[in-house]
This record gives sequence, structure tokens and C-alpha cells, in this order.
Amino acid sequence: MTSDAGHLTGRTADTSPGPQPDSSSDLRPDAPPGSRSDAPPGPKPEPTPGPAPEPAPEPPSGTGSRTTKATRKRHRPTRHWYAYLFIAPSLFGVFAFLLLPLLIVFVLSLFHWELLSTPTFAGLANYRRLAGDGGTWHSVWVTVLFVLLSVPLQTVLGLLLALLLNQRVKGVAFYRALFVVPWMATPIVMGVVWTWIFDPRDGALNRVLDVVGVAGPNWLTDPAWALPSVALVNVWQFSGYTMLFFLAGLQGVPQELYDAAATDGASPVQRFFQITLPLLNPTTFFVTVTNLVGAFQIFDTVYAMTDGGPGNGTEVLNFRIYETAFRQFDFGYAATLAALLFLLILAVTLAQVRFFSKRTTYDLS
Amino acid sequence: MTSPRNRSFAALLGAALLLPLTACGSGDSGGDGTLTYRLWDDQQKAGYQKVMAAFEKANPGVRVKIELLPYDQYWTKMTADAVAGTAPDVFWMQTTQFPEFVTKGVLADLSPLGLDAAKYHPNVVQSYTYKGKLYGVPKDFGIVGLLYNKDLFKKAGVPDPDKLTWTPDGSGSLLETARKLTVDDKGKHPDEPGFDPAKVKQYGFASWNHYQTQWMNWVNSNGGKLVDQPFGKYAFNDDASVQALQFGVDLVNKHHVAPPAAQTNPPSDKINEMFKRGQVAMFPANNALLPFVTPGASFKIGIAPMPTGPAGRSVNINGLSEAVYAKSPRKEAALKLARYLSGPEAQKIMADDGHVFPALNGLSQGYVDFWKRKGLDVSPFLEESRGTTFNLPVTTGFTAFENKLNQTFNDMYLGKLTPKQAADRAVADGNALAK
Repeated sequence: MTSDAGHLTGRTADTSPGPQPDSSSDLRPDAPPGSRSDAPPGPKPEPTPGPAPEPAPEPPSGTGSRTTKATRKRHRPTRHWYAYLFIAPSLFGVFAFLLLPLLIVFVLSLFHWELLSTPTFAGLANYRRLAGDGGTWHSVWVTVLFVLLSVPLQTVLGLLLALLLNQRVKGVAFYRALFVVPWMATPIVMGVVWTWIFDPRDGALNRVLDVVGVAGPNWLTDPAWALPSVALVNVWQFSGYTMLFFLAGLQGVPQELYDAAATDGASPVQRFFQITLPLLNPTTFFVTVTNLVGAFQIFDTVYAMTDGGPGNGTEVLNFRIYETAFRQFDFGYAATLAALLFLLILAVTLAQVRFFSKRTTYDLS
Repeated sequence: MTSPRNRSFAALLGAALLLPLTACGSGDSGGDGTLTYRLWDDQQKAGYQKVMAAFEKANPGVRVKIELLPYDQYWTKMTADAVAGTAPDVFWMQTTQFPEFVTKGVLADLSPLGLDAAKYHPNVVQSYTYKGKLYGVPKDFGIVGLLYNKDLFKKAGVPDPDKLTWTPDGSGSLLETARKLTVDDKGKHPDEPGFDPAKVKQYGFASWNHYQTQWMNWVNSNGGKLVDQPFGKYAFNDDASVQALQFGVDLVNKHHVAPPAAQTNPPSDKINEMFKRGQVAMFPANNALLPFVTPGASFKIGIAPMPTGPAGRSVNINGLSEAVYAKSPRKEAALKLARYLSGPEAQKIMADDGHVFPALNGLSQGYVDFWKRKGLDVSPFLEESRGTTFNLPVTTGFTAFENKLNQTFNDMYLGKLTPKQAADRAVADGNALAK
């Protein structure tokens, strides 16, 4: 299980819903605005009437009129060289475990390299092979379908759960924890448990459907149902995780806005759509980006539940990479497929950045 | 742009990332005198702790570190280690992986040990012979036999399935016995009017898509052929093979004496659970499964030889070997350990503790005695091993082929492909991947 190593580490690293050590500062959705370093240390982030307490405009770095905190922050270290010292350990990690392997993959993708044979330079041969490789494009399609089936649902569910558990009810901490459990469990183990639930004859799901008079399908062996079934497990697994971030985001929305809206006679529905949702945009941005990236890389659930089947019905791109590298020992071509996955994710993420950058306010005061 | 999650990229780079990670992970730990020995079976680990203790005592100055890796990760890690040049000194090898590793030069030629091949089970020796040389110490063999639920047989008043026969057309005592043990919720058997195949409470037989314990055995005992020769081409789409495949599928979809493929198709291991829960009366399985099946079973387990087909009985035997890493920096000590593992002292410990049938002749009784003390008569396995047996196909590219083969045959067991279509496709796929 190579590819989930990073997957797991990443997800484990952000157990706390609060500020994330590795969620780069320009994407922090959940930090109360005033608590950042650009606010004077003294005053608390209590409502500041009037215009936002932005520091005097600095020369923007190429982004035109929009001066985001991110760009400012990127400049700050140049004035404080020792800041580099603080981020050096992280920087080393980024280089050793992120940039370097990335580079290696792109280099590898230019070689023919089978297990233990000497790599030979192949130029773009692997990419030409990719262009005509119908199986891989099928995998891309399956991956996209999987993303579409899981990400919207788990984002909406995460938000609904957060709204529900953002209230002061008894035992709320327990419920919050409960919904996060699926995300903490080992995906492989959960995959196995879900195959039991999906068993067409004596699985829990079809038993329940049977009671209400519905004949459940063969979830994992019917080509029409296998991918939705795997996606469902993903939704189940990551809705609670998504909820964590929305909860943090909700707590950053100033109560005064709601009070003011209520005074103006806004209904709860209006308050949700006019206040909550827009102000949650930084969170929504962060959550959709990470959920999409995670979904594009789905592997373990597929591995445990279907092995890519029936036929190649659930053969997502990451599974194909695994097959190519560790079952066919074709490392050069596997690297090419990994490069393809990287570029896909990059393209989708950039599109999201563009979409959200026009719609997101980080400063809630 | 900075990604919000490093994991995304880290995971994406699985293959490349693994190399540096594994490079610092294993292999050269513990200094010169310590050998690394890698296996995947946590039950057998206990046996090997004894074996290694005895070896260390006989060879002062050499220490052995046992490294246990779960089977799911074993070959991935093994591959990465071989690439990185940090493979363990001595490690378990199995037949389906052997061609890949031996042709790539990972395994040391063991002729310096001067082992007498005649002293070991011939199938195991054959499995690890490449170009006339032995590349693994024959360690043990696992053989497929018919496990059955004695309680269910007793309750149904059916004699124990000691001498079952089968033919492709369905005559023979296997199907007859399986029918008697298949019951729907109204107590009807498959050959009775009113039997509802959708509401079966108990199945007579486990027929499912599992090459090692199922269809390869039917193919061989019907006179079919898996491969034309070792390191050759797949050939199981001939008439005899296709008939045999049809038989396996018919048990499920036509005769309804086995659970539907929608439940049993891999990667599900449902069938195992069903046998343990008493929902399946007969279950062909490898003897290596005994330590995993027996503790959970609430009934008496019986063991019988596999059913005899038109071409006699031919059962799969799957031997493991102890491989020595060709580039081990401690090769001399590694060969010393390999020699020790090939001998009666080591193999007897593993047999007497009920872990395996040793590959070395004359020690199997210890294994039989161990299980007798546990109330299980495993002698039918031994009897089978002296009859006609066959190896898993020895070809390169099997690892690449395995999942494709399983997916194609999953469709066959579901009835979406005829056995002829499935076999043709699988043979073509397999031969395209064999190098």
C-alpha cells in the first residue's frame, strides 16, 4: 500500500480542527481574523466598527488590485531572516518528501524502467503510449466519476452536520467525536467491514432494504452499483472530517452579524444563505480543495472492496498506478501515470483557486 | 501555489517515494553479524523463533532478526527493496513470484549448498528450479484438501465425503452429496420441486473464483492444462479445461449447491466466513488455512481428499522456499542459514509444531501428530501429496496477470461470460503479459 502512506500521514496530521501546522498560511480558513500576526498583539478581535483594519496597502506582487494576506505574508520573511529558521524543518520536509519525489517522478516518466533492469532513456515514449492507452483514459473517467459522486455529497453532508452540531446541546462533544471516527479508522479495515454490509444476501444494507420491500442490488459485483458503493464509503468516511472544518469556520462567524440580520427581520434561511454561507467561503474553499485532492487519489477503499472490478468498473487512476508499478513492475510508465494524476489534480485545484479567489473574504471583521 | 495538503503530492508519488523510504528502512540494520529473515505468516513466526534460536546456538557470532510483513505488503515491499538493493538476506519466496525474481537476478544460486533434490518433495524442487539450478531451499508444501463440516453431514445422515467423484456433465457423487446438503428456507433440496435458489439457508459446496483451491484443480483432474511448460504459455482454453471451468460455474448457477458469485467473488473472503459459520458444508482449502479456520469453528471439521475427476485426482500443491538475496553483503552467513533451514533439525521443528508439511521427506508425521492432538486427522493431505499433484503455473508476469485473471473469471462465475469466452480472454491476457 504505497500510495496511501502519504494519504494517511496527511490526514492524521490534521486531527485538530484548529489551526493547522501544514495548511499553508494563505489557505487558513479557520483562523479568527484578528489573531493573525498582522493584527497588533494587544487588541482582541472584537468587532471593529468601520472599515477593516487592514494595514497600509503594500505594493501588491503581480496580483493587481487584490492584495491578499497571502501575498503580504510571503514577503514578510524577507524582513525577518530568522523566520526561515523556524520553517526550516518544514521546508526540509517539503523538499525531501514533496518536491524531490515530484521531480523524480517526472524524470522517471521519461525512462523505460522495469524491475531491476537498467533504466533506459525513452524520451516521450511513455507519454505517446499514454495517449493511445484506452485503459488509462477509462481510469481517468472512473476517477472523475468517483470524485463527482463523493465530493459534493460529503461536502454538503459535512456542512449539514456542522450546522447541526454547532448548537449548544447536551453531549454535542460526543456526537462530534462520533462522526469523526470513520475518518480515523483504517481505510482497508473499513473497506472490509463495508463489503460485509454490502453483501447482497446477508449484508445489513440489503436486509434493511428487504424489510421495506426493496430488492437490493448486488452492490459490489453489479457494474452499475460498484462505483457508487465505493463512493458511498468515501462519503461516510470523510463527511465527519469535513464537518470538523466547517465547525471551526462557523465559530469564526461573528454573532453580531446574525443579531443585526435578525433585527432587520431576516429569516433563518436568509441568514444562512446571506451570512453563513458567504462567510464560510474560506472554509468551503479549503474543504473542497482537500476533498477533491483526496478523492482523486482514492486507492485503499477500492483495493479492499473491489480490486478495481467488476471488470475494470472501479479501476481508478491510483489503482492503475499501483498495478502498473507493483504488479507489472513497469516503473517508468507508472511514473507517467502518476504525472498525469498530478497534472489533473493541479488543473482542478487551480480552477478552484480561480473560482474562490473572486468570492472569498478572509477578513470577517 | 502551495498545496494545502502535503499528503496529496506525497501519496501521488508512491513509487518514487518508496525508494528512499525503504532505503533507510531495512536491510543493513544490526551490523555485520546480524542476518535479516523475512516472512509473512505470523503463526509461523513463532516456529521460526525456535528455529533461529537453535541456529544461533549452533553458529555463535551470527544473529538472525526475524522480520514479519503482512502478505498484502510483502511483495510490494520486496519489490521496492530489490530495486533499492536492500532486500533481506534470507526471505520467503512463493511460486507465482519466483519467475519474476529469479529472471531479474534477485535470487542467489544455491548450488553451492549441494542439496540433494531427491530428498525433497519433487513439486517444490521443480517450482524453484530455473535453467537446471535450484534458487530456493525447499521449505514446505501446502496442499489443497476438502474440509467439511462433520456436524452437517451427521445431521443430514450423509456419509463422510471420503471418495467423491465428479464429471463435467454432473454425474458423480460430489454433486449428489452437495445436493443433499443444500437446503432452502423451507427445507427443500435443489432437485426437489419448489426449491428456491434465492433463499438457500445452507449450501453443500463452496465453488467460487479461487484459482489455487478451485478451478485449477478441476482443470487438472479433467485432463486440461494450465501452461504448456514451465516458463511457457498459458493453455487453459482447450476443451478439457473449458469443460472443467463449466463444471465449477454450474455448481453455482445451474445446480445451486454453492453460494452465488455476487457473494463470493474476490476480493471478498466471504466463503471462508460462511464455512466457519456452518452455512457451507464442504470447502476445498489449503492445509495452511487450518490454523486460521479451526479456532473460529464451532463444529467438528473433517478432512477428505479432493474429489476425483475424469482424469483422476490432481490437486494443487504450493511449496514455499527460502530464498537468499543475491546481493546480500553477508552472503556467506546467509548461505549458512539457508543450509540450516534445508536440514532436518529446522524442518522438524516446523513440522512438529504443526506449522507446515516440511518439504524434506520423512518428517510429515510430526505435522500429522500435532493436529491429531488437536482432534483433526490431516492424513488425507499427506495421502494426496503422494498422488498426482500440480504446481501453480510458473510463468513470468503472473503478478501482473493475477488481477486481470480474477476479474475475468469473476464475470464467468457471475454468468456474464461463458467459460470459453473467459478462458480465451484470460489466456490471451496472460500470454501477452508473460515475457
